[in-house]
Amino acid sequence: MSLVRNLRYHFMKDLGSPALMRFSRATRKRRSRQPNPNFGPPLEASARLKEIMTRHYFLSRYAEGAKPVAWVSSGAPVELLRPFDFYTVYPENHGALCGAQKMGPELCSVAEEHGYHQDLCSYARIDLGHYFSRKTPAGKLPKPDLLFASNNICQTVVYWYKALAHYWQIPLILFDTPYNFEEINGIDIAYMVRQFEEMIPTLEKVSGRRFNYRKFQGIIRIAKEASNTWGEVLDTMKARPAPMTIFDAFGHLAPIVSLRGLPVALEYYRTLLGELKERVDRGMGAITNEHKRLMWDNIAIWYKMRDLSNLFAARGMNFVTATYTNAWAETIPYMAESRPFESMAKTYSLVILNNNLNHRLGLMERLIKEFQVDGLVIHSARSCKPYSVGQYDLRRLLMQRLGVPSVVIEADITDSRAYSEEQARIRMEAFFEAMGV
Amino acid sequence: METITRSYPPARKDYLRQQKESHGRKLFGVFPAQYPREILWAMNVLPVEIWDPPLEVSHANAHLQPYICSVVKLGLELILQGKCGDLDAFLFPHTCDSIQNLASIVYDYLGLDKPCYFFYHPKAPYGSASRVYYMEQLKSLVSQLEKQLGLLDLSELNRRVAHGQRVATLIRELYELRTRGALSLSNVQFYKLIRYGEYLHPDDFIPLLERFLGESKAENRKRPAVILSGVLPNPPEILSLLDQFGVRVADDDLLGCRRRLLEPPGKAEDPFEILTEGYFNMPPCTTKDSPISERLDYLIEKIKLTGAKGVVFYMVKFCEPELFDVPQIVEELKKRGIATLVIDLELNQGLSGQLATRVEAFVEMIS
Amino acid sequence: MNYFAGIDVGALSTEAVILDGKGELAGYSIVGTGANSTEAAEEALQKALVLVGRSYDEIKRTVATGYGRACVPFADKKITEISCHALGAHHLFPDTGTVIDIGGQDSKVIRVGEGGKVLDFTMNDKCAAGTGRFLEVMAAKLQVSLDKMGDLSLRAGGDVRISSVCTVFAESEVVSLVAQNHPKEEIIRALHRSIVNRVWSMVKTLGVHIAVTMSGGVAKNRAVVSFMEEKLGHSIHVHTEPQIVGALGAALLARK
Repeated sequence: MSLVRNLRYHFMKDLGSPALMRFSRATRKRRSRQPNPNFGPPLEASARLKEIMTRHYFLSRYAEGAKPVAWVSSGAPVELLRPFDFYTVYPENHGALCGAQKMGPELCSVAEEHGYHQDLCSYARIDLGHYFSRKTPAGKLPKPDLLFASNNICQTVVYWYKALAHYWQIPLILFDTPYNFEEINGIDIAYMVRQFEEMIPTLEKVSGRRFNYRKFQGIIRIAKEASNTWGEVLDTMKARPAPMTIFDAFGHLAPIVSLRGLPVALEYYRTLLGELKERVDRGMGAITNEHKRLMWDNIAIWYKMRDLSNLFAARGMNFVTATYTNAWAETIPYMAESRPFESMAKTYSLVILNNNLNHRLGLMERLIKEFQVDGLVIHSARSCKPYSVGQYDLRRLLMQRLGVPSVVIEADITDSRAYSEEQARIRMEAFFEAMGV
Repeated sequence: METITRSYPPARKDYLRQQKESHGRKLFGVFPAQYPREILWAMNVLPVEIWDPPLEVSHANAHLQPYICSVVKLGLELILQGKCGDLDAFLFPHTCDSIQNLASIVYDYLGLDKPCYFFYHPKAPYGSASRVYYMEQLKSLVSQLEKQLGLLDLSELNRRVAHGQRVATLIRELYELRTRGALSLSNVQFYKLIRYGEYLHPDDFIPLLERFLGESKAENRKRPAVILSGVLPNPPEILSLLDQFGVRVADDDLLGCRRRLLEPPGKAEDPFEILTEGYFNMPPCTTKDSPISERLDYLIEKIKLTGAKGVVFYMVKFCEPELFDVPQIVEELKKRGIATLVIDLELNQGLSGQLATRVEAFVEMIS
Repeated sequence: MNYFAGIDVGALSTEAVILDGKGELAGYSIVGTGANSTEAAEEALQKALVLVGRSYDEIKRTVATGYGRACVPFADKKITEISCHALGAHHLFPDTGTVIDIGGQDSKVIRVGEGGKVLDFTMNDKCAAGTGRFLEVMAAKLQVSLDKMGDLSLRAGGDVRISSVCTVFAESEVVSLVAQNHPKEEIIRALHRSIVNRVWSMVKTLGVHIAVTMSGGVAKNRAVVSFMEEKLGHSIHVHTEPQIVGALGAALLARK
């Protein structure tokens, strides 16, 4: 770490970024978008969300050399990194951003030119494309000192991080979560707890800081509360009409994924929750005419969010729940600062994608009932095998057991070349007919 | 050329029936790739590995998207076509995302009447926790199996662990002879022999290997050499094409073959310790998340030992673990002047003219 | 004098090249392959012999290459088109470092080393995008003659882009662009950019090594060559008859 860079980072954090936020607020007021009649007024909290994430990426430019930097997978137990003061970057979040900015194909092509097959996960291809070209809509990503991954979301994230570790010649720490075929038992928990203990020396070495147990517990407390608050945010969508759409929620997800354990995430969700509760009290819906309520399965189609949101809202259809957004609230009850390692092992190994398909079926049934869902849109994401393999059966079983109509959209999370507008349109029209809209 | 008489084992179907009827063995359908076969042998189970059943995929398409690999599709197809009637149970090692979810589809959604077992093996980077966990996973598998099969006899386990080592010793010898150019088997014959290990019981596989070893020594069969890397040697037509061109596969880095070959045993005496040591000493593999540097060192060492001029990466389409490593491995090999060929394959699809051309051009490059 | 023949039996066309004893090009011919590769090979050779005024028994050695090389029974040896294109291009342009061959049904990029030896190669033969077939399909869709496509695209300006990598998807895009009243020339230009992009990413995969030589039927399309030169930032070698490069390489190998 360099003193100069450290000073610059703190200067940017304390003075630079507030100035940037003031500037962007001022310019935003001059550029107001035409209101869309299908939607209710936009959430005020969204402005704050944009500030938070813009600030995060702004500070990213100055983190390298100022703080120890870790690149982290979305399901990894980041709470263990925070006491060491790592600056964390989430390549999946960055990938989603690139996807939303329609930079997916460009960055994926760069990776493909370097030999990475086009059938591989597009988050990984974008990230590798960034590695080779350094192109990003986010300014500049700091080079990592450490890679921190867990295979609870997929095995691919490890193959990807392994490749990065070799390019950069930096350590990769893996939190290996045994898959829950039938149950996560004592042996599995003991394995995971021991892994945590074994990680600490490497984290101390790379960060240059000693592990502070108290600090760690405090971070768990904040993370738990933020995740619980996020869960409450999602619960407000049980109201009829729902005060938010899942498309919004995909955006509001960013802090709990990439800033979990930090006070800013907790504060944000409290603000958001307050606003949503108020809307529920006033009967304010996210869309003006909520006739049908839908569930989304799998990660978002990042480059099609606005189009899809408009398409469904115009027909009075609101997405009120999703398995993806639910993932950051579902297992948080296991988290306990009094038994941090053991509870984190449970919290992180029981997430939806590390859990057998029976569990997923049960979860989806519960969400359908609790949120009064009329129909299901299943995104079969080429990039995401653990999410996608089993969807055809899920669809069939949900129809059998609950009579819920659904449609499968074959697409990809960020590589728009895998999306056929024509094919999706035909399927959705059939779905709309089935839904009677 | 072939004056030696070789009797191959009976056709797979007949062999399996024999095993059930004459030896009273249970048959377990085992999906790729890493699992403790010695434990199954010790409990009088014959593991029948399911890699590439010769089927046309149709039923599986109702359950699996087009972007899923053919190992998983063919395996599911085998089950859905009702061809697993003879099997008494399934075992799913935790190899990758697709096999993981396949296991869950089969167990949770298909409503099959057969027990399913799962084997989660720890992934690299390894620590001491990994070793403890592996041993406990072995014992846990035993307790689960005991519910269906009765108690495990430890002396039987010791016997079968020794058999596992014997099989490995014999196969290692075959590999070493081949590397030195002292084996008379063609590429096709070599892999046909090795692949018997996917379902032959050690009581039959050991004598088969011993016989082949006895009959196949040859002199000076050097010829231009290549190394195969990937999942399994399918389609075998590429092997016969290499044979046609007089190119020898001098060694391999195939998941179904060399990557699961045990190294010579260490000092452990307890059978569970021996098996644990065995797992961690095996060659680096993507299904264990072995670091790229380890895989590179391994391949480069092989290239030195064999004098191979090139490496053929035999990639099954959609196989993520393999495809993520390939670019950096190929880049490093190219820097060292080693020719590389990466081919993308669907299993059991034979050799198209286009594929043959690629292989031929590669052979022309290294000749 | 001895003569040497190289026959390149492609999926769509078959070429025959005859070299004299000094290794000079004596003559060549191009015929349509049709349904029978063997007949096409015989026809091509016959035609070339007539042109050169020689008879078959004056040919000392024949090498066959291309998709249908197995169907040339009178060939003394069969060698892949990869090796032949590399050698042929090197012979025509000795500074060749990369060969880009865009054929009717496949495309290849070959890295060429000293003496015209193949150092590395990559092929696209699984899908129509990046091959002559792509332009053929699009020409039919737009009701334009295939050999006018190149010139039409060079006439256009504009910013239209085809984003799909798949020929089928691209076809739908063309239909909607026509419906949006974009001029045909602009769409054709975008299609040319598309095919060049597709092939260019293959070039980048191998690493760019100048000088680049283009061969194959599509190299006759000035627009494709021109856009490829833009990507490369350098001029590209194209022989007056780019289709014979493979057969030339085969003939050179026959002479070796």
